Amino acid sequence: MKIASKLLLSTAALMLAGALPAAAAWKPQKPIEFVATAGPGGGTDNLARAVQSIITKYKLTDQPVVVVNKGGGSGAEGYIYGKASAGDPYKVIFGTSNAWQQPLVSKVAFNYTDLTPIAAMAQDEFLLWVKQDAPYKTVGDFLKAAAASEFKMGGAQSKDTDEVLTRMIEKAARVKFTYIPFKSGAEAAVQLAGGHIDAHVNNPSESLGQWRGSTQRPLCAFSPKRLPQGPKVTTSEGWSDVPTCVEQGLAISQYEQPRTVWLPGKVSPEQAAFYVDLMKQVQATPEWKEYIEKTSQVDTFLTGAAFDDFIKKDLEHVKQVAGEQGWLVK
Amino acid sequence: MISRRALEIAAAALTGIFGVVVIISSIDNGIGWSSAGVDAGTFPFLTGVIIVLGSLYNVAHGALGRGTLANVRIAITATEVRRLAGLFVPAAIFVAVIPLLGMYLASAGYVFAVLALPRRQPVLRALVIGAATPLALYIVFERMFQVSLPHGALAAAFGF
Amino acid sequence: MENLESLLHGFTIAVTVPHLTLMVVGVLLGILVGVLPGLGAPNGVSLLLPLTFGMQPVSAIILLSSMYWGALFGGSVTSILFNIPGEPSSVATTLDGYPMARDGRPTTALATAFGSAAFGALVGVILITFLASWVAQVALAFGPPEYFAVYFLAFASFVGMGGAAPIKTVVALGIGFAIAAIGIDTVSGSVRLTMGIDELVKGVSFVVAVMGLFGIGELLIAVEEEFSARAVSSRVDWKEVFRALGRLPQHGIALLRSAAIGCWMGITPGGPTAASFMSYGIAKRFSRSGARFGTGEAEGIVAPETADHAAGTSALLPMLSLGIPGSATAAVMMGGLMIWGLNPGPMLFVDQKDFVWGLIASMYLGNIVAVALVLLTVPVFAALMRIPFAVIAPLIVIICVVGAYSVSNSYLDVVLMLGFGLVGYLFKKLHYPLAPLVLAIVIGDKAEDAFRQAMLMSKGSLGIFFANGLVTTLVLAGMALLLLPLALQLLHLSRKPGEAAHERVRII
Repeated sequence: MKIASKLLLSTAALMLAGALPAAAAWKPQKPIEFVATAGPGGGTDNLARAVQSIITKYKLTDQPVVVVNKGGGSGAEGYIYGKASAGDPYKVIFGTSNAWQQPLVSKVAFNYTDLTPIAAMAQDEFLLWVKQDAPYKTVGDFLKAAAASEFKMGGAQSKDTDEVLTRMIEKAARVKFTYIPFKSGAEAAVQLAGGHIDAHVNNPSESLGQWRGSTQRPLCAFSPKRLPQGPKVTTSEGWSDVPTCVEQGLAISQYEQPRTVWLPGKVSPEQAAFYVDLMKQVQATPEWKEYIEKTSQVDTFLTGAAFDDFIKKDLEHVKQVAGEQGWLVK
Repeated sequence: MISRRALEIAAAALTGIFGVVVIISSIDNGIGWSSAGVDAGTFPFLTGVIIVLGSLYNVAHGALGRGTLANVRIAITATEVRRLAGLFVPAAIFVAVIPLLGMYLASAGYVFAVLALPRRQPVLRALVIGAATPLALYIVFERMFQVSLPHGALAAAFGF
Repeated sequence: MENLESLLHGFTIAVTVPHLTLMVVGVLLGILVGVLPGLGAPNGVSLLLPLTFGMQPVSAIILLSSMYWGALFGGSVTSILFNIPGEPSSVATTLDGYPMARDGRPTTALATAFGSAAFGALVGVILITFLASWVAQVALAFGPPEYFAVYFLAFASFVGMGGAAPIKTVVALGIGFAIAAIGIDTVSGSVRLTMGIDELVKGVSFVVAVMGLFGIGELLIAVEEEFSARAVSSRVDWKEVFRALGRLPQHGIALLRSAAIGCWMGITPGGPTAASFMSYGIAKRFSRSGARFGTGEAEGIVAPETADHAAGTSALLPMLSLGIPGSATAAVMMGGLMIWGLNPGPMLFVDQKDFVWGLIASMYLGNIVAVALVLLTVPVFAALMRIPFAVIAPLIVIICVVGAYSVSNSYLDVVLMLGFGLVGYLFKKLHYPLAPLVLAIVIGDKAEDAFRQAMLMSKGSLGIFFANGLVTTLVLAGMALLLLPLALQLLHLSRKPGEAAHERVRII
């Protein structure tokens, strides 16, 4: 997933700086439904609720906003619901890269082309985590040990972002892992703390508490440059002290999980423009910045061609990994 | 009206068919062991087989009229069938019209019809309960807990 | 006692007018969502969540956890009065609670349930207060094989206890397992058993199944038996509330045993549902009145309710100290913690003393507030039983329909629920046991996941279930519970053939 981050940043800046489109003539006439493709408490659910509370606080629209959870089937429930609501501009679907990745590897009855892309807001980073008292201090040590015995790598769900990244590490470092899928990253974190698995690739927010509590620590971040400086997590270290994986000699320069926003298919361009604009206004608030910081995500905003481009590149990439692993559905 | 034996056989046949469906759909998921561990279809397949075997046993048992309930010959009498239908049929109609009328209209109509038509309750009381039910639903679900109940195709046609 | 000091400090935070008000508001809202099936604590809590963004974290968690207590209590109300469990953990309460209420003793049933629930919650909070750090360590010892062993233990203690025909029990269990498998499989990521219905990829929610099987199914049984003719005479009787509470100490052993089971299952990943089933199963086996379970026995209410609340309370501990949510509601609260800028994990107890101990103090107070409020409502709820059947029946149908719909705003769920209603009637009529079916729906897929994860770790060797003392003990205990009654029955049968005539009474 080598997206030129310059392109990404400049597009985002352009979007923010540029004049808001005056053509956003369409306005909602009845309550809007936010569909979170995750159960209550999941990252996507939190995002949808944060956006909802910001919209309500600043009265960004006259109509009430209701959040509905449709997280069954790893989010497929929500996307299928979006597909079935074609032409209905009052359903906004909040998801992840699952929207295009899941149809590749499972026989689910939707594809991202059934939906109208609005934006990608906020990206979750990935890090390589090991148990606090593990003997290896660097990625090099870790991979050497992994080559000697088959390590158990945990992660959330199967054939999803975590496993894709695990398989990418296998390939880049020529090692073999046993991947054990759990329901969520939080569960994988606890399994690592208990020593039942050897490593996982959780997002910062999923393992923050565990790092602070000295049960596990990050070895490297799958990011082109170090994570932004923030408050210290442990007494001595913060996110920016974690080296990138490339620095440590593991050649995976970028891997991240975007939070995506969609409308059902067959809505008018004016309707889509309204929501793009709405999300932009949300992103400009201090509450949004606070949300991003507290959940240790990276603030981005992709829409239009930039978003399409992002999806295409990511899709190509995942197709390659899935093809090598024999996951592609016939 | 319906004999115990017929009912036992029908139930066992129902569970058996479910078992067969489970077996067939689980074969798609793969059975056995692969590099990704126990295949996804393995456990559903085994449960399907167990359900089918159990159902076969229950069919035989029911047909022979064995078991603890063997002395009960008639399972459901004609009056009982009428009473069952009296509850279930209106409920099924209620559920069937929800997509068209929406939850509020459908529930009002359902309550009113069930209470007033068999003359169990005075018409006025049926009207009051019929009107109060959707109102209570609206306040609790739509207003307090922000759960949007279906408004129905009819309401959508009028722009709600 | 450092903990005691911290707790006293916590009380100074919790006992303020705004916090006490929040508790009352939270509990009342909780009772309401608990009583309405389909809404449930997770919905209520996630709905309140955005309101709490501007609050102090400790105030926010007091509001949300009070709502949780209220919902736990409220969930038992519909189970007892109408045989509709609003939460998975109240299914076991219906087994004796509903017969007792139908027998004309709804007040007794409700008061017994609330009293024992309060006791269970109290034991859970005491455990959290004094053993927090130790408990957190215990929970870490559980990997996939141990998870599986815990689920196995829960199954073993509950299944095989019933008097129903064994093959019918097996079929019911199998159907439950198959229903649990519908949807996306965690371990392989593939879609299973959707039978051509795309929307089934989300799986079949437990609430949908239970509302049909128990709610509609029971309604059909009731009309058929012309239950409508027998109006239940239940006076609004305040004295009975206290008399029922006064009788609780008679069940001292059951209370203690159930609280212990509840705490154990709350800390380990079993959770409240498995706890209530296991406690009921064990009580049935070891209690003196065990043979009469299923006919409205008080101890059959005490056992699941105590365990449910002990587990529900102690399930908050792994959430705070490890970041594993022990229940769906805990998962939502954990999302809240993150948004308030707190990170669940081992350091929470060190970094955020005020928050943690304020919460623990509020658990004592919140439960007292909840019990007081809920006991006040007993006569009101009991009076619902006096509404003529002809009126209450369509209302129950509407509650089930709306409840099934609101689980995930899906019309398909409503249709499924009605279908489950017919199945529930048929099964009940023919003495297929429903409780094992429900237990299989709730924990069947979790048990399967844990088993397959363990197999991945061991590369297919079953030896992993005997790899250490903990897992070996759990597996052996499960096997003993499974085989013991069989052995006893064989012994019994060889001596007294033809004793099976009593079977009718005991079937649940």
